[in-house]
Amino acid sequence: MFYQTPLRTAVLLLFTLACIYAAFTAEYFGVEILTEIIILAMIVLALDLVAGFGGMVSLCHGALAGVGAYIFAIFTAKLGLHPLLAMGIAALITGAVSWVIGTICSKTHGIYFIMATLAFGQMAYSFVFESSYLGGDNGMAGIPRLDLSMIGIDLFDSKQFALLCLACLLVAYLFAWRILTSGLGRSLVGIMHNEKRSRALGQNVVQIKAQVFALSGLILGLAGSLSAQHIMFISPNLLSWTHSGEALVIVILGGLGTLIGPIIGAAAFVLLKHEVSNYTDHWHLIVGIILIIVVMAGARGIYGEIEHRIAKRCAKRVQKEQAPKQAKEKTKEHSLSHAGLKKEH
Amino acid sequence: MDISFWILQLLNALQLSMLLFLLSVGLTVIFGLMHFVNLAHGALYALGAYIAASVAASMGYWAGVLVAPFAVAVLGLILYQFLIKRMRSSGPMAQVLVTFGLIFALLDITRLIWGDLALALDVPELLAGRVSIGGIEYPVYRFFVMAVGLVALVVLHLMLTKTQLGAMIRAGVDNDKMAACLGINVERLFFLVFCVGCALAGLAGAVAAPLLSVVPEMGVDILIPTLIVIVIGGLGSLKGAIVGSLIYGFVQTFGAVFAPQLASVMIYVLLALVLVMRPSGLFPAKGG
Amino acid sequence: MLEVSDLCKRFGALEVTKNVSMRLEKGERRVILGPNGAGKTTLFNQLVGEIIPDSGSIKVNGQEVGDWSVEKRARFGLSRSYQQNTLFDGITIGESLGLAAAVSTSKSMWFWKDSLQDADVKAIVRDTAEQVGLEDNLGARVSDVSYGIRRQLEVGLALATRPSVLLMDEPTSGVGPEMIGAFHRLLGRLSRELTIVIIEHDMDLAFDVADSMTVLNYGEVVFEGTPGEARESEMLQQIYLGAWDDA
Repeated sequence: MFYQTPLRTAVLLLFTLACIYAAFTAEYFGVEILTEIIILAMIVLALDLVAGFGGMVSLCHGALAGVGAYIFAIFTAKLGLHPLLAMGIAALITGAVSWVIGTICSKTHGIYFIMATLAFGQMAYSFVFESSYLGGDNGMAGIPRLDLSMIGIDLFDSKQFALLCLACLLVAYLFAWRILTSGLGRSLVGIMHNEKRSRALGQNVVQIKAQVFALSGLILGLAGSLSAQHIMFISPNLLSWTHSGEALVIVILGGLGTLIGPIIGAAAFVLLKHEVSNYTDHWHLIVGIILIIVVMAGARGIYGEIEHRIAKRCAKRVQKEQAPKQAKEKTKEHSLSHAGLKKEH
Repeated sequence: MDISFWILQLLNALQLSMLLFLLSVGLTVIFGLMHFVNLAHGALYALGAYIAASVAASMGYWAGVLVAPFAVAVLGLILYQFLIKRMRSSGPMAQVLVTFGLIFALLDITRLIWGDLALALDVPELLAGRVSIGGIEYPVYRFFVMAVGLVALVVLHLMLTKTQLGAMIRAGVDNDKMAACLGINVERLFFLVFCVGCALAGLAGAVAAPLLSVVPEMGVDILIPTLIVIVIGGLGSLKGAIVGSLIYGFVQTFGAVFAPQLASVMIYVLLALVLVMRPSGLFPAKGG
Repeated sequence: MLEVSDLCKRFGALEVTKNVSMRLEKGERRVILGPNGAGKTTLFNQLVGEIIPDSGSIKVNGQEVGDWSVEKRARFGLSRSYQQNTLFDGITIGESLGLAAAVSTSKSMWFWKDSLQDADVKAIVRDTAEQVGLEDNLGARVSDVSYGIRRQLEVGLALATRPSVLLMDEPTSGVGPEMIGAFHRLLGRLSRELTIVIIEHDMDLAFDVADSMTVLNYGEVVFEGTPGEARESEMLQQIYLGAWDDA
């Protein structure tokens, strides 16, 4: 079950402060990287929502964010709609598309779920790639940014744009938090832990999964429309399955099922990528090896590992304090389980 | 459009199918037997192409085609011992991630060794030139690719149905725990099948090399079609692999003729349909 | 309350359920007996919809539920517990009961408010925990507790959905005598409105709690009657009860 622990809140606040600090102190290139991190963080947050709490390992989340970007581009660059309205539409349509994908894929499990989401992601990719209306391989240029000059914000200033993205990320985090601590989110975690029992309890498994997938899609639509505004140009490459795979990698590196972990993972991933590319072209080799090591070591990820260690230390302290009481309970439990074992054999 | 055009398309479809078959059959049998999804299968195919191209540059085409499968099988052996064996009991997500990491690593390793420039592998003299059929000229080499696929299909089919080893593999696919109880050394079987699957990927890379330019990304590019083939066909079965390959080859080739804009979307729609209607593919190895 | 007619199911050549019919009045407590492999659990699986029968009908409270999904039947009041613990391993006992209670109060799909913090849900969790003796374990993770406690939770989950028909598959399997006693007392406290079907191997318990008994063998109903009649039945004595007394 998801609980917004003080540690998680502290890390989120720290991350927010670090972003604000970076936005004000870093030079142009640094702020661009910051924006990249924040948008990526939204995508992996959305992925953690379904993968970390619903066991839905989606290989189409990158593509869905790309869908959001294209929808934003269509409604602004092609149809001339106000960017704010287009952002809302992009989020809603991406959410609806996600709902359809979620409904269909929720009936499959394990590797078939992964393949099914991959198929839908690739379908979107090929569609965009082949569509001459959407510019095909060449992509689309001339995408406008939101105009907030009315309230004195100039989003063509990269610092202010980065802060807008940060605000969106925080809203997305609060949204995901709310979902996970709602009835729907609780049910989803139950389904992840035991789908068969959830059905036997009367949970509408497919609907619950599909709805959370759709809500995750809302975040992706928002993230996509921000990334379209960030570069002001989009290409089908945004929807490539390697992006979805990369998002999954980041979730794992940061800490699956912790919500804040993947955000940290996104920061670590992007920073490491830029750092490594100063020395070598072979960034993929390094990330590949790190990924293999992390997964084989048990896949707790950066934040997951920290949380695990702190929890272990706390448990020890509590145990020390309650040692006498616990010992008593232990023996009682032990005799019970012993009785159980005896009967079984 | 006359008849020769259709024959040409038919041959193209068959050739694509056979190449995909070589790749997907290894992947599908590995999955059927070990429940292991090796996303790095495509990277092994790329390595096969590179090795074949390198060896062929100094020792000629045939040496390249012979060496590549063995070299890739040896690499498979190493991977099996150090990675795959330990990941067998993990969930699908961990397997996908580890082999995804392998894709990244192998991609850059090929870059490190061979550089970013495309390599070329020439068609051997014996298979150079064209034959004419029904009024069209078709490269001999493409017939050769089809023949390799067909031979692989026949050999694998005979091996699976007529030999003791094949019976053991089928038993393992059906129920590996039961097979182990019957005294079959499942662990050794896994190992063998994994290496054979890798060798086939290497062979596919070697025979595909003269048709395409050999670039690091070729492994990633071929992976998705291969996965589509095995999911449509049904994981774990030879029949599924060949049917899936033919479906993919024909939809892709003829789709490009009838609806060029939709050709690549069509195959994904087909895949989604199969997943919705028959989640375990058209010819799954296990009943149900 | 529960009416099963001519239920049939075969797996290949194996007939696991042969024309099984039974009829339970509201509040009736039926014990199902039968040797291993008699098709008891398979019958339960068909009643709740986890296995689709080849033919026959299942009515709950007069409503045909045979073509409903597992979850729809559960929401209609048909709840079951499993012979082999089927629990939510990664969460706590309180949360598990909360999930079940949320379904019965239609709060499991709330997408803004927390179902686990809801007063009605909390009340059901508290009541259920008291009923099955888990008050002191609500905060413990399911994966950390002993087999006996997991067994109690297995029944607790089924109860927390507030069913009208409760199917319990060997609720006391693998637990010691003190827990069989506790389970016996639990049954005594359950509402007499609740219709209960229990698969049970413990003969003393079975004869004590049953209003009526059904005996299955090779997928067929070979006996149906009161516990008294069951004791009298020579056929049962010979085929089943005698053999079980020795075990």
